[in-house]
Amino acid sequence: MLRLRFHGRGGQGAKVASRVLGTAAFLDGYNAQDFPLYGAEKRGAPITAFTRISRENIMERGVISEPDIVIVMDETLLSDPQAMPLSGLKKGGIIFVNTPNSPLETKERYNIADHVITLDITKISLDMIGNPVLSGLAAAVASRIVGIGEDAFRGAVEKELSGIISDRELLVKNTEAALYCYNAIMPVQIKTAESIREGENVITIPFEIALVSSPAINATGNTPLRRTGNWRVFRPVWDYEVCTRCMTCVARCPDGCIHVNEDGYPYADYDNCKGCLICVEECPAKAINKVREMHSRSGEGDR
Amino acid sequence: MGKEMLTGNGAAAWGVRLAEVDYIPAYPITPQTEIIETIAKWISEGSMDASFVTMDSEHSMVTAAGAASATGVRVFTTTSSQGLLYGFEMLYTVAGWRVPLVMVNVSRGLSSPITLGPDHNDILALRDTGFLQIHCETCQEVLDSILMAYKLAEDERVLLPVMVNMDGFYLSFTRENVEIPDVGTVRSFLSEYQPEHAFFKAGQPMAQGVAVLGGEFYSYFKYQMHLASQNALDVYKEVCGEFEKKFDRKYGTIEEYMLEDAEYVLVMTNSFSTLGKAAVKRAREKGIKAGLLRLRVLRPFPDPDIKNALKGKKAVAVIDQNISVGKGGIIYSEIGGCLFNEKNRPLLLSFIGGLGGKNISQEEFEFIFDKIVSAVDTEIVEPPYLLYTENEWKDMTKLKETAGKE
Ligand code: SF4
Ligand code: SF4
Repeated sequence: MLRLRFHGRGGQGAKVASRVLGTAAFLDGYNAQDFPLYGAEKRGAPITAFTRISRENIMERGVISEPDIVIVMDETLLSDPQAMPLSGLKKGGIIFVNTPNSPLETKERYNIADHVITLDITKISLDMIGNPVLSGLAAAVASRIVGIGEDAFRGAVEKELSGIISDRELLVKNTEAALYCYNAIMPVQIKTAESIREGENVITIPFEIALVSSPAINATGNTPLRRTGNWRVFRPVWDYEVCTRCMTCVARCPDGCIHVNEDGYPYADYDNCKGCLICVEECPAKAINKVREMHSRSGEGDR
Repeated sequence: MGKEMLTGNGAAAWGVRLAEVDYIPAYPITPQTEIIETIAKWISEGSMDASFVTMDSEHSMVTAAGAASATGVRVFTTTSSQGLLYGFEMLYTVAGWRVPLVMVNVSRGLSSPITLGPDHNDILALRDTGFLQIHCETCQEVLDSILMAYKLAEDERVLLPVMVNMDGFYLSFTRENVEIPDVGTVRSFLSEYQPEHAFFKAGQPMAQGVAVLGGEFYSYFKYQMHLASQNALDVYKEVCGEFEKKFDRKYGTIEEYMLEDAEYVLVMTNSFSTLGKAAVKRAREKGIKAGLLRLRVLRPFPDPDIKNALKGKKAVAVIDQNISVGKGGIIYSEIGGCLFNEKNRPLLLSFIGGLGGKNISQEEFEFIFDKIVSAVDTEIVEPPYLLYTENEWKDMTKLKETAGKE
């Protein structure tokens, strides 16, 4: 059995990717099982989805904690302590990372010893489809890695995406971009050993007083500790030559992360700006540009 | 129609579509909403012909479902967890009307604390209402059970509502291969509903849901429900027989997995049974004569089938994915009651696991088998055990720290 785990951000298409892969495997004659794990159900928040593929009956259910293959659809998740996309990866496992960097650079940057495959599927998506939704493309990469035939994969992309994309032209673009990614990756010999489990100890839970054991939070809020700046695919960049200091963007930012400098010009708090681009939409003077975020290039994203 | 990848929710929607249901009152709740979304989409596209009404709450929804069923049409509705509890008063009430509606419950742990993962305190809270209960392990079973449920509910020897249960997330959002039967075969299995006792017609006035004063009257009606529910055991077997003939899939009140020559038996329900079966296979590889009994029908409680299946076994461990606070596992008690008068009854051990969707790990299953084997060796049965691992305790400790405890 092969167990795959997709890591993405809400809105990027991790769930649909796991489904396209599941359907592709099913069309290729395998037993398959796929499902998403919704967390906060927020655009931009980390999300995982899973696909199991097997010739035999699948006698497992629930979260995959020991994957053979991990598909990282958003590079920033590699340094996210909550997402931890590499956790539990089996020896000999494979990691795909959506990044403009080479496998070698990626291995060094994130200190990964296992087999890394990279492709900038965000760029491919922007170039060929015009938006950064990666479902078909991530599924393509995964399908190719696990050795699913092209016909089965094409059938799966068309079947799954036609249910959610009604625009014929957009559907064709998605399929083309997905097939481009499928062919850009080399099939891989997957040689993961069945996992050697660490062995969990079964314990007895002790009684604790209600002050401890009632589901109440006794601490003050910790939301500010959770930075959302790495959710961006695009960052808003201000052009002060054009800006009239009308303050519309300041009022419209849903997260209150546009501040005003001493000269009365707005600037964003990039640690928390999620890249929703509402400010870009709302600016009457068109003074805000969207620039593709390159989190992996130091100094540009991870501040 | 052939096979498709469907979620449990998708499979439920297909069951409803193929049963050619007339009326669906609906109210959303995670993890059920996909069922009513799918049905609503089909109705708006014109691929399904039914009345779909969005309600203001589950209480109204169950009332509307019961009332519509009392007019003699085929009715479906669905909810989960808190929603089921919110409609709880009406569940007793409509069951008493003896209306054959079918409901799906997508199991989810109950508040507090509020959660999303599955366990069975929601569906088991219903066990005394009069609703029959069918519990599903796979997405295929969800679809099939809805078709069987209508045939069972509408049989005049029964005429009680049926609840079909699936686990939230583990089935509701999980896609698997599901065979979608063709509507012609379904029609030959499940004919159009012909109401004999519950209908509203202008030319034939009647009153339903009336009051009685006096225990002799009240007792009569309650006993009749009980007798009808008991009848359902035999009717269900007929339904299963016909289902197998038409669709070539075999179901019973219980499922026996590697049970025939087993000495040590796990008793489980719903989707976690898959994990139990895998554990049984691993135990067999180690030379432990293990087996698994899955309860599919919980109301009526299939006493004779359970007694028969557990006859001559050395020890049985019931894994309850529920907790009756202050007592322990609900199904453990029910199996205990079922076996008490048997000669040579097996030792009975109780484990509680999977609350709120908590995983039951390989090690926890091994732990259970160790306990079963040692109970047989020592003839000492330890008290009920709540399954929990050291790593889970570490996570819990972290959560407590974040919440400012200690
Ligand atoms: S993109 Fe603009 S509106 Fe959106 S969070 Fe960032 S600064 Fe605010
Ligand atoms: S909305 Fe545009 S013009 Fe107005 S302050 Fe913001 S950037 Fe400047």
